[in-house]
Amino acid sequence: MNAKHNVKDLESIATRLRLHVVDMVAPSGQGYVQQGLGAADIFTSLYFAEATMDPTNPEWPDRDRIFLTTAHNTAIFYATLAERGFFPVDDLKTYVTDGSTLEINSSERMGPFVEATCGSLGQGLSVAIGCAIAAKRQGRASRFYVIVGDGEMQEGQIWEAAMLAGARGLDNLCFIVDYNFVQSEGPMDLVMSLDPLMDKMESFGFACQEVDGNDLSALLSAYDVARETKGKPSFIKANTLMGKGVESLEGLMFHQLRFPPEVASSARAELEAQL
Amino acid sequence: MSDTLTQLEAADFINRSFKPLPRSYGDALLAAAHNDPRIVALCADLVTPTETDRFRDELPDRFHNVGIAEANMIGMAGGMARSGEIPFCHSFCAFITKRVLDQITMQAAYPNLPVKIVGFLPGVATLLGVSHQAIEDVAIMRAVPNMAIFEPSGPEYHAAMVKLALDWDGPAYLRMKRPETTPDAIEPQSLEIGKGVIRREGRDLTIISAGLCVSEALQAAHTLAVEGVEARVVDMASLKPIDQGLILESAASTGAIVTAENHSIIGGLGSAVAEVLMDKGVGLPFKRVGIQDRFCEGGTTPYLMNKFDLDAVAIAKAARGVMQKKKG
Repeated sequence: MNAKHNVKDLESIATRLRLHVVDMVAPSGQGYVQQGLGAADIFTSLYFAEATMDPTNPEWPDRDRIFLTTAHNTAIFYATLAERGFFPVDDLKTYVTDGSTLEINSSERMGPFVEATCGSLGQGLSVAIGCAIAAKRQGRASRFYVIVGDGEMQEGQIWEAAMLAGARGLDNLCFIVDYNFVQSEGPMDLVMSLDPLMDKMESFGFACQEVDGNDLSALLSAYDVARETKGKPSFIKANTLMGKGVESLEGLMFHQLRFPPEVASSARAELEAQL
Repeated sequence: MSDTLTQLEAADFINRSFKPLPRSYGDALLAAAHNDPRIVALCADLVTPTETDRFRDELPDRFHNVGIAEANMIGMAGGMARSGEIPFCHSFCAFITKRVLDQITMQAAYPNLPVKIVGFLPGVATLLGVSHQAIEDVAIMRAVPNMAIFEPSGPEYHAAMVKLALDWDGPAYLRMKRPETTPDAIEPQSLEIGKGVIRREGRDLTIISAGLCVSEALQAAHTLAVEGVEARVVDMASLKPIDQGLILESAASTGAIVTAENHSIIGGLGSAVAEVLMDKGVGLPFKRVGIQDRFCEGGTTPYLMNKFDLDAVAIAKAARGVMQKKKG
């Protein structure tokens, strides 16, 4: 594990991000709240520990790049970007209001810190691969992290891209699946199982790890292993719990959730108690 | 094994030619790449048919055969363009437009990146059949914001295509045809973005054409001249942005327009010209020569151009029709 990061500090950052998620989704009463809560530790570990970036110079060519390809999981994404300093935290109040750049599906009109416009699922991995190949040619040490949804892995383009990343041994690429086991119409097993996912990715040429995606230490260790892996791209199956951090929401396996004000305020109270 | 048995190049098969084919586009791209280190080439496993074999051999670290995976290729090109490179992506017109429209719109056009989409086998021009024909690609690509579309009338303009693609800051679609024989040396007029080229002057009507139909239009104009009708022939190599000024001036000075394209009559050059005229309230005798909202079939290009009424005979017939309306 990367010793320079205090996991306790990261945990409180993750809780702060979760509070933002609740506050952002509460006004409309609907949205991707449990997905945001579930992925909060992936975002915290990447943006606040693993990746090298400069919020004052988001286009810095030697930055590590993080691609959120499930571009609808924006409450947690925007909360992370704001807390990391890419734009004012106060802007989060405009989430999904008319005229705001903080749309449900993120687009790069927000700024260069949205590394690609990925609302159409399955495309972001290819873009990251293009960047990873260019970085190698240009002699840059940058790393490329792609947060993909589990349901999104049903898209054919993911497998075109994975085939190429494996065949070319792109060891500057780290493909993370936020494995919360839910897609639009329900549990993945009912729609289209990815199993045996680890075997599949292994056979595509990836160095594979499976971790608890809500365990910050485990995530940081996995990134360390990925960084030290040479000659192969890395795949991290990060098993996340939807609604993580808010007891009443944990394990509620809906893609879209009604989020009435009383649930929002009890969720807020629960998270505040953890700080 | 006999020494005379060698690998059949895909391009040979496609063109039914056993002679080494010219690479007027590929050599121009390679020359540009030697001058500009940002240029890279991607190809979805159609290297020789897209004239990129010399690029592959001379600049191997800047050439990526991504396998038969066009969607991934366009996404990768987006990533490379975001990293300061100028990627030229290669396949057949049918696959590099219709199959990957979503990827093109989201990873090239919306971010307005310099991703150059280069297709070969335009319109009906292939033996390979309906699966490999792109008769609606211009219509589709024309509707994509930020996208420019350029189509050469022949190999004499292939080098100019590379230049136009580079002159356009954003994404561009080149609708190419691999020459089957070395072209006669002609003096190509320079091409510019948003400018048509008058290839023949005439006062009685204007034939606005693109791609393979330009030479057919010139032949038709020759036939018409014998009949006493003088046709202006415009080569609209810049399909988007289109030369509105030249269209309106041609309408005003000749009073009748025929469009001719190796593409469906829906959404392509003919539609683009009609849109310009209607938006300005210009009414005049007008006819679109093109594929009449139907699917085609494989065959030699002259056979198909004739069968689907895209050739000089069809253009001359359309010209006579508009001339009759003009007189009536």
